[in-house]
Amino acid sequence: MSITPPGVSSKDFSDALKQFEEAVGKEWVFTSDEDVALYRDAYSPFWGEPEERVASAAVAPFTVEQVQAVMKAANEHKIPVYPISTGKNLGYGGSAPNLSGSVVLDLKRMNRILEVDERDASALVEPGVSYFDLYRHIQDRKLKLWVDVPDPGWGSPVGNSLDHGGGYLQPMYRNHFDSHCGMEVVLANGEVMRTGMGAMPAAKTWQQYKFGFGPWIDGMFSQSNFGVVTKMGFWLMPEPDAYLTGTVSVPRYEDLIPMIDILTLLENSGISNGMPGLGSPILGGFMMPPRAPEVTAMLEKDGVESAELHKYAQDKGIPFWSCTVKFYGPEKAIRAQWEYAQEKFSVIAGAKFKDDEFYKFPLTPEQFNKVHKPEMGIPSLEMFSIGARSPYNPTPGQGHIWFSPIIPRTGEAVLEANKVFAKAAKDFGLPLLSFSLPTTYWMRSFIFLFGFPITHDIATNKKNRETFKQVVRVAAEHGWGEYRTAPAFQDAVMDTYSFNNHALRRFHETVKDAVDPNGIISAGRYGIWPKHLRGNKA
Amino acid sequence: MANRREFIQAGIAASVLPLVVAGGNMAPKQRESHAAFYKVIFDERFPSSVAFGDEWKARGASVHAIRGDITDLWFHDLDYRWKKQGPAAIAGLTAHGPLFCLERLAWEHGMRVVSRVEQSARDTDGEPLISWVIAPKKKSEVKA
Repeated sequence: MSITPPGVSSKDFSDALKQFEEAVGKEWVFTSDEDVALYRDAYSPFWGEPEERVASAAVAPFTVEQVQAVMKAANEHKIPVYPISTGKNLGYGGSAPNLSGSVVLDLKRMNRILEVDERDASALVEPGVSYFDLYRHIQDRKLKLWVDVPDPGWGSPVGNSLDHGGGYLQPMYRNHFDSHCGMEVVLANGEVMRTGMGAMPAAKTWQQYKFGFGPWIDGMFSQSNFGVVTKMGFWLMPEPDAYLTGTVSVPRYEDLIPMIDILTLLENSGISNGMPGLGSPILGGFMMPPRAPEVTAMLEKDGVESAELHKYAQDKGIPFWSCTVKFYGPEKAIRAQWEYAQEKFSVIAGAKFKDDEFYKFPLTPEQFNKVHKPEMGIPSLEMFSIGARSPYNPTPGQGHIWFSPIIPRTGEAVLEANKVFAKAAKDFGLPLLSFSLPTTYWMRSFIFLFGFPITHDIATNKKNRETFKQVVRVAAEHGWGEYRTAPAFQDAVMDTYSFNNHALRRFHETVKDAVDPNGIISAGRYGIWPKHLRGNKA
Repeated sequence: MANRREFIQAGIAASVLPLVVAGGNMAPKQRESHAAFYKVIFDERFPSSVAFGDEWKARGASVHAIRGDITDLWFHDLDYRWKKQGPAAIAGLTAHGPLFCLERLAWEHGMRVVSRVEQSARDTDGEPLISWVIAPKKKSEVKA
């Protein structure tokens, strides 16, 4: 074994490992270099450098009782542990700990689907259950339920929701943490606790009513290090009768603002209930026709505000913006919703409409092969078949990290953010696209997703890390905060949430000291360090 | 790339070694046994990978074509096989993406990439193709 937990004597470590073995069985404690290496973050921005965050060992319990026993032993010997579910959080840290030398608490063996209730449209699962497992369980039983899956879909509902992941279905499901209902948590001292109605032993409503009685504390276990979540309930989406999408296109640059306002109104009113897509036919990009070379030249010269570009779009009759609106529900209802949406968008002069997809469920095999599967609640790994090679990245790296700021859900904010990020790209020599549109995972805000390439070249990674931190700072100066980030940047991001002299972080630390006084759980996760490590931040 | 110890651990060293050391020559050698692999995977987008699949098929191997995406192979075949009957070796000639996925999924069944060789053949975008073998970590786990 190459490293040991920091500040832990070799005797304490070896005693703890022995206790772990007694708790879970010798074969489920991993200490060899070969086994521990599997927990490296494949997308680590410190790959191969001394600062790369690596585990010292791993332990894989099978039951809640075993998790409790492991936590008691870790607490006794002050061993830092780093719980993971399926360890697929690529781009946000994978299965590697924030603090090198931590023991990974690998919950993959806890892969039981404890309940799926079709009448209730809910599920109760353990952390090792993957989206594929839950999907298969539902399919095998022919239940009329959909799981909102992220893309790629090989992670776990527990891990993804705890890290604030998102999906593609109706808004109440595609915010994965919002769609959970009730959790079971093992605390640092080994005690097991249930939240919401789960705290009432006889309750039959654990997956029906989130709040129980008193403060709702579930949020404290997301993006944090206050406990080990061993069960979570989720609300599932009843299979809809049909799915319909239509595209609105608007001609002028300034039409972006009313287009987004109308879209937001439709979503907040429950009229449009799928995840909308924003695009720009004139600028090209993802799912759009390729950009004309003369457009690129105009963009490079004067940016997206180029009067020449605006005239070019008008003269050629190419819409400046488009928005794909999506609907799940009964055919009659969603056709009426689309008709209503068209009426609302018609206030924009020159708006045009196009019917896109329409499917009834279940899909035919031909349709199944054609659709974007996550939008139908089907987990997929197809994303990995898309090459990373692009004009901006001619030599693909070994992965990426996401720069993913939250911005206001307005056209003005999209235009302003683009100006700011274009300048930052220029200043920092970044290969950002000349104009980007946000994604719409969340109903009430936008999120930009920019991938920073990760390579196995130390100098390149170093430069990208520094640039990433600079971009985080620039975004924060404008009030745009990261919603999630890799461990390497969690301190830098938490620093930007600084209102009233970092009152929020100080509160997190107060809680940390109270519920995990020895600081054994996921030290440093999301910028929350235990008392004995504060000031030693990476 | 796998070292010799890992090959011996895998229990299939004799059958896969020629494939690995051949480097640019990806065709199976005469003495290789198709029974060494539960599945041989090729990517039908790339002629050299198709040729690889054809060679193995001619030798009686069970081959599976992908088009970059391993979801179907995983969900309808390997996940069942590895869960219900235990680890079983697979081999392939693919781009990095499919191997990346299969490697991680195989880890969960006690399997490892025991050979990984970048080939001189490239796909149409210039991405390197990789010949690889994923096999059980320990000889006792082999259930070909």
